[in-house]
Amino acid sequence: MATNPLSTSTTTIAQLESARNLALGDARYYNQILLGILPLISGANIPVELQRWGADFIAEAFANPVLLPGDKQTMAIEPSKDAQNMTVIEALKGYLETSQDAAVVRSVVQAAASVYPLVFRHTIVNPSDTQNWQVMAAIKSNILRRMDSAPPGVRICCIKFVQRVIQVETPGLISDPRRPEQNEISLALVPRDHPLLQLPNLEAEASGLLDRLLDILQSDISDALLVTATLNSLGTLVRCRPVIANKIISAVLNFNPFKLANSPLTSKSKVMMKAMERTGRALLVNLMKREPGNPFNARIQQYVERMARLRIEVLDDTNRKRPAPSEPTDGFDPSKRPRLEAHGQVVGAPPPGPVSFADLYTLTHDAGAKSFDVQVIPIDTVVQIIVPMLMRIDKGKMDDAINTVRARLLTLSKLPPQPTASLSGPDDDDYEPDFAPREDAEQLSNKLANAPPEGLDVPPSTSLAPFKLPQAPPITEKELEDYGNSTIRRVFDTMNALSTPAKKTKPGFNRCAASSYDREAWMTIIARLATRAGIGLGDEEEDEVAYAGGPVKIKSEGKRVLKSGWKLNEAIREMLYQHIMADWRRRIDFATSWLSEEWYNDRISGDFFAAQTRKLNGNGNGSTAATTPQTPNYTKWVLKLLDSMLPYLESNDKGIIRFLSEIPAIDEQILTRVKRIAEDPERVGLTVNVLHYLILFRPPVREMCVGAVEDLWRNYDGAKTSTRKLLLKWRPEVLQEELVKAENAKVNGEALGVGGPVAAQDEMKA
Amino acid sequence: MSVDPRRRVALIPPPPPIEAHPDSTKMELVGSNNTKPSTGAVADEGFKLRFCTVCASNQNRSMEAHLRLASANLPTISFGTGSLVRLPGPTIKEPNVYAFNGITYNAIHNELQAQNPQLYAANGLLPMLARNLTIKSYPERFQDWVPGKPRLDHNGDQGFHGTEAGVVDVIITCEERCFDAVLEDLHNKGGRLNRPVHVFNIDIKDNHEEASVGGGAILDLALRLNEAAAKEREIHGAAGWDGSGKSREGFDEKVPEILGEWQERWPNYPALWTLAWF
Repeated sequence: MATNPLSTSTTTIAQLESARNLALGDARYYNQILLGILPLISGANIPVELQRWGADFIAEAFANPVLLPGDKQTMAIEPSKDAQNMTVIEALKGYLETSQDAAVVRSVVQAAASVYPLVFRHTIVNPSDTQNWQVMAAIKSNILRRMDSAPPGVRICCIKFVQRVIQVETPGLISDPRRPEQNEISLALVPRDHPLLQLPNLEAEASGLLDRLLDILQSDISDALLVTATLNSLGTLVRCRPVIANKIISAVLNFNPFKLANSPLTSKSKVMMKAMERTGRALLVNLMKREPGNPFNARIQQYVERMARLRIEVLDDTNRKRPAPSEPTDGFDPSKRPRLEAHGQVVGAPPPGPVSFADLYTLTHDAGAKSFDVQVIPIDTVVQIIVPMLMRIDKGKMDDAINTVRARLLTLSKLPPQPTASLSGPDDDDYEPDFAPREDAEQLSNKLANAPPEGLDVPPSTSLAPFKLPQAPPITEKELEDYGNSTIRRVFDTMNALSTPAKKTKPGFNRCAASSYDREAWMTIIARLATRAGIGLGDEEEDEVAYAGGPVKIKSEGKRVLKSGWKLNEAIREMLYQHIMADWRRRIDFATSWLSEEWYNDRISGDFFAAQTRKLNGNGNGSTAATTPQTPNYTKWVLKLLDSMLPYLESNDKGIIRFLSEIPAIDEQILTRVKRIAEDPERVGLTVNVLHYLILFRPPVREMCVGAVEDLWRNYDGAKTSTRKLLLKWRPEVLQEELVKAENAKVNGEALGVGGPVAAQDEMKA
Repeated sequence: MSVDPRRRVALIPPPPPIEAHPDSTKMELVGSNNTKPSTGAVADEGFKLRFCTVCASNQNRSMEAHLRLASANLPTISFGTGSLVRLPGPTIKEPNVYAFNGITYNAIHNELQAQNPQLYAANGLLPMLARNLTIKSYPERFQDWVPGKPRLDHNGDQGFHGTEAGVVDVIITCEERCFDAVLEDLHNKGGRLNRPVHVFNIDIKDNHEEASVGGGAILDLALRLNEAAAKEREIHGAAGWDGSGKSREGFDEKVPEILGEWQERWPNYPALWTLAWF
C-alpha cells in the first residue's frame, strides 16, 4: 500500500474531522462545510479513505435530526462554490458510478434514502428543474440495480432506500392542505399534471418495489440479515401508508421464520431463526399496540402465538422433536385445510355379530355424533329442523345413505335367522338387571324416530344386541391402597378446610357429638372412623386375638386380606397421629378426644369379643378377657404419641401434664415413659411435677404414681431432692427405711472404711 | 457478598480464552491484524464500531458493560429502558426511584449515603454508584434519546470519543424486556435516519456478580464484532481488489455467525439479534 497518499489522506481526514466537529456543534455550518469539502471527498481519484469519510459525512449530515428538512433540501441541490459546480446529489451519483468500495456505497445508499424525499419535494415545487430530478432518478436506478447483487451489507441499505421510495411514491395523508411544507412527503402532494412526476408511473413503481420488498420475506433462502432489515423497515410503511398496510401485514403473516429448520441446525441458523421470529413478533406487536382496533389484530395474535410455539418446538434443545413442517403456514389454518371426507363418505358394513338398530342406521364414524342423544332436543324443534333439512338435503347423499342401509338389511336378512330378539339375554347366567335391555329398546325406538322415514317399515326380525356392561378390571392391591389413602387424605383436607369457630360455647354434657358442622365435629368423625368403622370387618380374628388373648383361629374363606398388610383403620390412625404430631401442643385436644374414643372402643369391643368367646366356649366360666379388659389400640397409640412428644418437652412443659391428666387411662407402661424423662437431668423437675399432679388429681392411679416416685427416688440420682418432698407426704416409710439403712451403712462404713452410699446400694441389691 | 464490583474482578472467572481462527481463505494483509481481541483493548487508530449498552435502569448491567467497552477503547454510550430509575430500597416494597436524565449518579450516591450508609454499602449500591459517576454523569433513558443528535455535551463520559454524532452501530441490551422496548422504540421513531443498527440482547441477571461476568461476555462479543468490521474495511480497502468467496464477506452478514460462535462460548447468556433502523 502506498504510504504517501495514505499519509496525506490521514492529515486531510484530521482536518475534515475538525470541520465535522464544528458542524456537530452547530448544525447551521453543515451546508457551508459540505459544499466546501465536496471537491475534496468525491471524485474517481480520491483515496478510498477520503471517499469513505466523505460518503459517511454526507449520510450523517442528511440524517441529522437537528438540521431542518428545508435546509437539507437546499443542501442537497445547491451547487458547490468551486469550478466544478457539483451538487451533493451529483457527488452521490459519482460515488455510485465509480466506487467499488462497499463501505462507500453503503453510506451513499443511506444518504440517498434521506435525500430522495427532499429532491422529490423540490421537484414537486419546481416542475421545471429537470436536471436535479434526473440525477436523482439515475441514483435510484443505480441503487435498484444493485439491490439483488450487492454484498449484504449494502443490500440492507438498498432495502431501506426502497422502503423510503415506496413511502414517498404512495399517497399519504394530507394533514393540512394550506401548509404544504408541513406535510409529510408523499404522492398526495404531487399535482395531477406534473410534467416530471407522473402519478400512474410513480404509483406503479411503488407497487412493484413493494412486491420486491415483500419477496424478500417469501424467498426460500432465509437470510436473517435481509429479512430482519426488511421487517424492521416495514413498520413505518404500515403506519403511515394505510393504502398498502393490509398487503404488508398479510405478507408478514405468511412469513415463516423457521424455513431454516429443515437444514441441519447450527448455532448460526439458530441465531438467524430466533432473530427472524423475534423481529416479526416485535413488528406485529408494535402494530397491534398502535392500532388496538385493527381487524387484523386477531390474526396477528394467532400468528404470534403460533410462532412462539414453533420456536419452542424447533429451537428448544430440551425437547426438540423434529424440524418445523415445511408446508405453507396457511396450511395450519383449519378453515383452509382440504376436507378429505366431505363427500362420498365411506361407511362400511356394520360390525360383525349381533347388530342393533342403532348400528344398522349409523352412517357416521364420528364418535361424538354417535353418542349424541337426540332426546335432548325438544320435539317441536326437531320438526322445525327436519323439514327444511330434508328439503335441502343432497339427493345423491340421501340415495347413498338409503342404499347403504338397504344393503345392510339385505345382508342381515340373508343371515341364518337368529333366535328371536327377546328382550332379556338368551343364555346368560350373568346377572343382568331387567331394565337395561328395556332402556336399550327405548333408545332404539328413539333412533328409529329420527332415522330416515324409509326405515319405519323394517320388519323387526333382526335381533337386538344384548347390552352388557364390561366388567371393570380388578383393582390391584397397590391401587386399593392408593385409593384408600387418598380417600383418607380427602377427609383430612375437609377438616383442615373447616375453620375453627371464633368463639366457643361450652355446650356441657347435654350435647351430641359431631352434630355441628365444624372442625371439632369433623375431628370426632375422623376419630370414630378410625376406631369404630372397621371393627369386626376385615381382620376379625386379629381383633379377637388382640382382645381376647390366646390363639383363636377362624377360617376366613373368600375374605380379602391384603398381603401388604394395609388396613384402613391403621391408615387413618397413622394419619391422625401425623396430623397431631405436626403441631402437637395445639392439637392435644384432638389427641385426647381420639384416645378417649380408642379407649372406649377398645373397652366395648373387648366386651363384645369376650362375650363371643364365652359363647364359643359354651357358657364360659369367667374368661380372662372379660375380667381384665385390654386396650390394645389405645395402649399402642398413646405410647406412640407419648414417645414422639417426649423429645420436644421443655423443662417446665405444661403440655405433657395436661396430656397425661386428660387421657382416659394410665398404666405402668406410660409411667415408664414418664420416668424416662428424668434421665435428662434438666427435666427431672418436669417428671416429678407430672407425677405430683397425677397423684393429686388422679386418685385411681395414685398408688402407681407414688410407686413411680419411689422408683425415681431409689434409682435416679438427680431426683433425690425433688422426690423426697413427695415421698415425705405419700410414702414416708420409704424414707424411713432408707434412713435406717443409711444409719446401718454409716455404722458399717465406719467399721469397714467404705463410703456410705455405696454400701447402702450394695445392701439394697442384696 | 457485596463489595465494589471492581475490586471483585479477581474472583470472577476470566472469560474463556478467545482462540484465534486462522482462515486459510483469507489473504493476510500487512498490518491488518492490529486489532486483536485477545489483548482486550482496541488500538487507538483505525476503524471502530460504536456501541450502546442498555439495561432497565442504566445503573448496573449497562454501566458495567459501558465501563468494560470504554476501557477497551471502544466508543460507548449507555441507556436504560425503564420508566424510572429503580434502585433497591430499605425493603422490597420501598424502592428508591429517580427520574431519568435528571438526577446525577453523584446526587443519588449522596442521597443514599445520607439515608443509610451501612445498608447501601452492604448491598453494593454505593460502590456501584461510585463507579457509575466515574463513567458518566447521569442515567439516560433510551426512549428519550434522539439518535443522530450530536452528543458533544457528553465529552466527559468514558467511551465518548467516536460517539460525538449521537449514533451507534451496535446496541446491546441486557434483558429481553429491554430488547423489546428498544425494538418498539425504534419502530416508533420510524427509522428516519436510514441508518442500520445491529441490536443484540444478552440475558444477564440483575446483580453485581452477573453484571460483572456478563460485562465480560459483552466485551467479548464487542471485540469480535469490531474485529470483523475492521477486517472488512481492510479487505475492501485501498487495495480495491474485487475478489469473491468467503473473504468478500462483509461485516453485516457475518454477524449471525459471530453471534453463533459467541453463544457456544457463552451458553449461559441466551442471545438475540436483529438488524433495525435508526
